[in-house]
Amino acid sequence: MSALRLRFKSGGSAPIDLSDLTPATLAGRSHYEINTIPVSAQSTVGDHFDVSGEPAETLIFEGTTSLCDGIGSGLRSGTIVVEGHVGAYAARFMKSGRLDIRGNAGGFLAAGMKGGIVTLTGSAGDFVGALLPGEKFGMTGGTVHIAGAAGDRIGDRMRRGTIIVKGKTGAVAGSRMVGGTIWTETGFGTDPGTLLRRGTLIGPAVERMLPTFSDCGLHDMVFLRLISRHIAEILGPLAPKPLPPKVRRFAGDLATIGKGELLLTA
Amino acid sequence: MSTPVAKTVNGIVVDDTFAEAFGMTGTALVITADTPKWAMISATTMTGFGTSVIGCGAECGIDRLMDPSETPDGRPGVRVLLFGFSPDALLPQLKNRVGQCVLTSPGSACYNGLESSEKFALSAGPRFFGDGWQLSKKLGSRRYWRIPVMDGEFTIEDKCGMTTNAVGGGNFLLLGRDRAGLLETTEAAVEAIAKVPDVITPFPGGIVRSGSKVGSKYKGAIASTNDAFCPTLRGAVKSELGPDIIAVLEIVIDGLTSEAVANAMRAGLKAALEAGASRGLARISAGNYGGKLGPHHYHLKDYLA
Repeated sequence: MSALRLRFKSGGSAPIDLSDLTPATLAGRSHYEINTIPVSAQSTVGDHFDVSGEPAETLIFEGTTSLCDGIGSGLRSGTIVVEGHVGAYAARFMKSGRLDIRGNAGGFLAAGMKGGIVTLTGSAGDFVGALLPGEKFGMTGGTVHIAGAAGDRIGDRMRRGTIIVKGKTGAVAGSRMVGGTIWTETGFGTDPGTLLRRGTLIGPAVERMLPTFSDCGLHDMVFLRLISRHIAEILGPLAPKPLPPKVRRFAGDLATIGKGELLLTA
Repeated sequence: MSTPVAKTVNGIVVDDTFAEAFGMTGTALVITADTPKWAMISATTMTGFGTSVIGCGAECGIDRLMDPSETPDGRPGVRVLLFGFSPDALLPQLKNRVGQCVLTSPGSACYNGLESSEKFALSAGPRFFGDGWQLSKKLGSRRYWRIPVMDGEFTIEDKCGMTTNAVGGGNFLLLGRDRAGLLETTEAAVEAIAKVPDVITPFPGGIVRSGSKVGSKYKGAIASTNDAFCPTLRGAVKSELGPDIIAVLEIVIDGLTSEAVANAMRAGLKAALEAGASRGLARISAGNYGGKLGPHHYHLKDYLA
């Protein structure tokens, strides 16, 4: 596989911002030019990475740590593979392409993401697919798959797209959500869907259900088939098992407009 | 009878003439349900009273049954095609037929059945039946609406593909010496056409027994019986029928593309020539307006297998 490889050589103690490094932004650049790209106020790529290979559709980060922020931020095309951990803001505002992280992620993974696919073999911090202060919405498209667990308030103000968490989510998943889908294969922490307006939360269990979610009964909805098939098409072998024929539907958050839903699969 | 003969096959005369067809607007939907039976009931109902744009507003029919593996929701499905004079004429038909016949059908769901850059707002009418409780879900590039109904939810895709390159009015006429044999022959041709993708034969059972001519002696009637092809008038009018012809049946074909109509013509003619020889089929002709009205001309001699 033709790829540009950036091997992390220096840990340091301050976070570095790698949001300018994508296959598109590095295309056609020499190693010298890449080495001189700033990643903090005091340092450049060359201070932290050994660069090898040639710029191509695939960019590989190797040995990264939680100090490496912003990987895949604004990604519009191509693939970024991270053989290591990532810090905060990975895949922020990502539009298309694919980010595969073979490690853990810090906070705000896929915050404001608009499209593409993010996969994470480890666990993610808080505010996956959420928004930052001053922004109107969180994630508005794309698919995020987290093989481990996720932190608190994932999907905060999320509008579209899908977050799949194989492990458990933290507290208050889907807070203030206005659309999209969060699907956990293990279960939700406390109070999922706080101030949920629209959107779908799917999981086998809830640690503590808000009293403002109302039981609508056990139903076999065609939509369950659509979402199972869609996720299988997008994620292939990473996709969770298809949803069961029937799920228990809770409408909420009735403290707001109550047009969201929490679907219990077990 | 004055039409020249193009060829004689199995003792059946094929006229040297052509079917004259028109450009139409077409769309396709996939209707699914819990069982093949209910998918078919919904599809049959929504394509009902859809024989001719003249009186029905749209020409509609079933393209094919779909295996669960082919449908968006993995349930049994039926693909239906709808044709109209223009996008503006077809859209209200689509909206009404889906709203009255698919939305109402137990367990049904309705999806786009035609990939095209031009779209109809499929859900624009039916989703408002949800009275504010309708939910939208965008999966990839497709948006679906979930409308609460008394048996659960009606799921409908937001948009469906539309084409203005569709063709309506491909046709051929089968002229027989025996009415029962002619019907069997025509049925065989319709069955062969049913296997061709992207086409429908919108008339009852795919067959027309009342071919029409343009105009009438009566004010207000825009079409009337094609007396030149009515066997009981053979002695009274300038007839197109020979002395041995006692019945004429027509197959009308609408397709999403001209190529699909051509394929259907070929399949139908082949089946008719094979089945007709022993069933009294004497002659095959086609309907046209001298080639001045419709841009698509299907010369029978070009489709003899």
